[in-house]
Amino acid sequence: MPTKVNEIIDSAAAIAKGLGVTLKEFLSPTITEDYPDSPPRFQERYRGVHVLERDENGLEKCVACFLCAAACPSNCIYIEAAENTDTIRISGGERYAKVYNIDYNRCIFCGYCVEACPTDAITHGHGFEIASYDTVTLIWRKEQLLAQPREPYPEATVTEVG
Amino acid sequence: MEELVKLTIDGKQVEVPAGTLVINAAKAAGIEIPAFCYYDGLALQAACRMCLVEVKKAPKLLTACTLVAQPGMVVHTETPAVVEARKAMLEFLLTNHPLDCPVCDKGGECELQDMVFRYGAGESRFLEQKVHTEEKQFSPLVYFDAPRCILCYRCVRICDEGLGVKALGVVHRGVYTEIGPNRGDHLECDECGMCIDICPVGALTSGRYRYKTRPWEMQHVGTICAHCSNGCKTTLGVRNDAIIRANNRDRSGLNGEFLCVKGRFGFDFVEHPERLRTPLVREGGELRPVNWMQAVALVARRFEEIRARGGRIGVIGSNRTTNEENYCLQKFARQVLGTNHIDHHRTGDVVALVDALAGRTGALATTGDLYRTRAALVIAADLAQQQPFLAFQLRANWRHHGLRLYAVTPGPVREEQYAVRSVRCRPGEELAAVEGLAAELKGEPELVILFGDAVKGELVHRLVAFGDSLGIPVKYVCLVDYANSRGAADMGLLPDLLPGYRPVAEAGLERGMALPEILAAPDLDALWVVGANPLKDAPLASTAAFVVVQDLFLTETARRADVVLPAASAYEKTGTFTNVCGEIQQLRKAIDFPGAKTDLEIFGLLARAMRAEIGPANPEKVFEEIRATVPGYNVALPVLAAGGAAPSSPQNGRVPVEWRPELIRSARDTLFRSGTLGRYSQALNSVTEAPGELYRG
Ligand code: SF4
Ligand code: SF4
Ligand code: SF4
Ligand code: SF4
Ligand code: SF4
Ligand code: FES
Repeated sequence: MPTKVNEIIDSAAAIAKGLGVTLKEFLSPTITEDYPDSPPRFQERYRGVHVLERDENGLEKCVACFLCAAACPSNCIYIEAAENTDTIRISGGERYAKVYNIDYNRCIFCGYCVEACPTDAITHGHGFEIASYDTVTLIWRKEQLLAQPREPYPEATVTEVG
Repeated sequence: MEELVKLTIDGKQVEVPAGTLVINAAKAAGIEIPAFCYYDGLALQAACRMCLVEVKKAPKLLTACTLVAQPGMVVHTETPAVVEARKAMLEFLLTNHPLDCPVCDKGGECELQDMVFRYGAGESRFLEQKVHTEEKQFSPLVYFDAPRCILCYRCVRICDEGLGVKALGVVHRGVYTEIGPNRGDHLECDECGMCIDICPVGALTSGRYRYKTRPWEMQHVGTICAHCSNGCKTTLGVRNDAIIRANNRDRSGLNGEFLCVKGRFGFDFVEHPERLRTPLVREGGELRPVNWMQAVALVARRFEEIRARGGRIGVIGSNRTTNEENYCLQKFARQVLGTNHIDHHRTGDVVALVDALAGRTGALATTGDLYRTRAALVIAADLAQQQPFLAFQLRANWRHHGLRLYAVTPGPVREEQYAVRSVRCRPGEELAAVEGLAAELKGEPELVILFGDAVKGELVHRLVAFGDSLGIPVKYVCLVDYANSRGAADMGLLPDLLPGYRPVAEAGLERGMALPEILAAPDLDALWVVGANPLKDAPLASTAAFVVVQDLFLTETARRADVVLPAASAYEKTGTFTNVCGEIQQLRKAIDFPGAKTDLEIFGLLARAMRAEIGPANPEKVFEEIRATVPGYNVALPVLAAGGAAPSSPQNGRVPVEWRPELIRSARDTLFRSGTLGRYSQALNSVTEAPGELYRG
């Protein structure tokens, strides 16, 4: 009955091999995301919810040139521009975005806006938890998109215009 | 027969009239030669060298903008040598150019951007620090950013040659060369903004439009200026139901790209905070807001009641509402209210002119005639102040065709700069002075006579008789003030005339009271004022009269009203206007103003509430009716629909009216004033409040 013996040996070897993989994986670092119990990790280039960046002085980088809105294939960026003055200085350029909305009902995360921006103001962050039962809440305003101010934050920029 | 010249451009055979510039010959053949400093209609400059072309047998590249086409010339516009030269010129222009396109107002419609995109180098070899100067504010409406300027001198030339203002010049030398304003640090000028519009780059920018938006973000609506009677076409840039700028860059109207300060900047009255947004009804001595249904019901009830007891109703129409609205108003007054006491503020004696020219055709000059006529005579009018586009047109005629202009005025006028003969006379003696020019005028091949409100009534007949005595073809323009002053007369907002200058007797009516008589009648029972402010100058005698006012603002008249109905402005409706020369043009609705209704809609609501039949309150339908019933208005609809101007030709027998010269009175609004609308335009007020002699008075 050499075949029976061979069969048993083969099976044991297969099991050992399989368990070996299991053991190896068990001992190597895990790559399965533990989301939502712990935060997911992303590739650097992941295109998530946008972030409107600030410059080294804490001023907004966006100068309201409307190029992102022009590049956007789904027409979901809405901007209203206003002029910086001596008392109200929001951005580094002459102009800033008084209103900057992105409609995430429509955004396809293509990244064209990021590519179009001449001042690297609009970037893709890694945020993605934006699902909602109410589509109205998917229109994000500048206040939601803006990067947190860094230190030092100049006094004058704290006053928002009404 | 004009002499023709044959030449070859890029292998294409082109035939053009002798004297044509190569740049225009190429354009005629559909070949674009880039140009910054060359500008159609302005003097040659040859400053930018963008238009360099290669001409066979010429030793070097030549500027197409100064090169006159010669027979047998062979021109190449895109050879490697030409492209190389343009690239070099652009590199040179960019040495000190900030390239801040993302924040530059011109970005997206910048001629420099376009050219650099087409020919420019991708890299800069210029590593030195760029010359930078701070942006300057020349005036409330004109800003100048020197680093962006490419020194094409278009602005200098349009202001000098086009307007005759000469407010811009060139200061400093070399890389520090800049455009400078006439008062050293600021401008005192017409504030027309033509320099901003004509600037190929973002060096001159508009105080109203700066940093507001981008050209591609706006909808562009071509309509007619709401201010003076010249009827300029203006293209409104609209975003989110707000007008952001006005220009006519596409040269699509009778005015080409001309706009004066009112047309270009004075559109902001529509968003003045005091604009009426809800109907008001007087309760216990005070005007209180009510809804439209209540207000309309009240007016209908009171009108019905006054009509039933045979009360006297006076109606005062507007110089600013559309032909359709004026037509409906007089129809409403005459057919529904049964009153013939209807009038408007008359600013020129159009009626007398139509009467004096009875039976002729083609005796009314169009704006195009002003550009082509060989000679013109201006009587008692300061055109540059009161009729800006007509002044521009005559000046262009003088520059291009050597117009011979005669001016007979009581005071100094800008036209004297180039008039062949200018005569000062005491007010009231204009015609005597004109008659003194008979011998000179007889020597002209043709003549256009423009006359202001000093010539009225019998004097108009005397003027036309004088014109006839010259023995040359003479055409006339009766100057009036506002956007549809002419249309108000044409549409029969007159106590003695129906639309088309037909006598009221045709409709079996008696002559009604004129405007001052309406206001002075002690027993007036109701007064209905549509888009006018008569109580600014005269009180209303009848204290018991029920007063209804339709207007944009709470004017002096509206404050006296029992019911105020908020009306839409010209930029918020469709319809037609007739300009000072009798040219009919179409308005297009640019924006909606919440709360207001067009006067036509209001007439419709009132008619329905009174169960009266005045036809559909729809501008197209009403215009159909006007075309069918008003003599001279049977114009071609496609012309209007395509944004063109169709000349009306009022023409019938004598107009049997009494001459009432005392009723004719121009408001003499200057460049920065425009009746009620001007008072509510922050742009216009910002100019008159700025320091500077020019804006006074
Ligand atoms: S990612 Fe694409 S779709 Fe989304 S806002 Fe940017 S350009 Fe528009
Ligand atoms: S003028 Fe033209 S090229 Fe220069 S910054 Fe403005 S848009 Fe850019
Ligand atoms: S606004 Fe008109 S008048 Fe004033 S500088 Fe410019 S072109 Fe000349
Ligand atoms: S300001 Fe504009 S129009 Fe005037 S010279 Fe400079 S570039 Fe030309
Ligand atoms: S000339 Fe008259 S119609 Fe033309 S833009 Fe000026 S105000 Fe308007
Ligand atoms: S267009 Fe010919 S030199 Fe400027």
